[in-house]
Amino acid sequence: MDSLHAIGFYVSAALAGVGGILLAFLPGHWRRGLALGATGLGVAGIYASLSAGFAAIVVLVCYLGCALLVARPDYRTVESAAGGLWRQVGAVGAALLLLGLAYAAFRGRFAHATFYDGPFNTMTVARLLFAHDALATDAVAGLVLAALVGAAIAWRRERPRDEREGRR
Amino acid sequence: MSVTLISVLFVAAGLTALGAFIAAWNRELSAALTGLPVMFAGAGVAFVGVARFGATSGAPLLGQEVAVLLAIAALGAVGLGVGLAGRESSR
Repeated sequence: MDSLHAIGFYVSAALAGVGGILLAFLPGHWRRGLALGATGLGVAGIYASLSAGFAAIVVLVCYLGCALLVARPDYRTVESAAGGLWRQVGAVGAALLLLGLAYAAFRGRFAHATFYDGPFNTMTVARLLFAHDALATDAVAGLVLAALVGAAIAWRRERPRDEREGRR
Repeated sequence: MSVTLISVLFVAAGLTALGAFIAAWNRELSAALTGLPVMFAGAGVAFVGVARFGATSGAPLLGQEVAVLLAIAALGAVGLGVGLAGRESSR
């Protein structure tokens, strides 16, 4: 891997990380959508610098779709019933997860292989998706179809601004 | 400056943990939902990294395939979550 790809990888990783941090702390729908879009752009850049051009384009399209969904102004705000203590326990759990995964990455002994495929690999990935692992592709297509149909049905019903107000 | 499998796995670990943090930290459930695509992105980066640096036998681009499927699944999950949250009525 040459220096240009390495710089692209680290810049994209930084963009994805900053986008994720902003996603955690920014208020408001459109700001979160923007942060998710930045994360998607960073992840697509990581894939592109790792010679996975096709996966980069798919990730970019999917994450921009996620960002547009999150940035919508008219979906309902639902607050969690979990208190501040449980949120802090969850944050500590995420930190422990980071430590565990980083330790596994640092101490792991991995086989190194030479990469022979090209930078885009559309044909090879298509062969995998539609010939080698067609059942997995069908399963994910069915999952997405069920999710989008369920979302469309649930979206048709208008709900009050806050559940707690509706119960009063 | 070079990129190795270990640096890719560090980035993947960071994204996965960041996604878990977003899901745990946000009080608003629709905001917590956005942690899911970040976690999936972390898993996808790990798969693509293994496909790029460590795939010695079998289909070498299996990791890229899994990354594609994870991105599509993330879109479906966010769509379902936003749909289940529902439209806010105008008052």
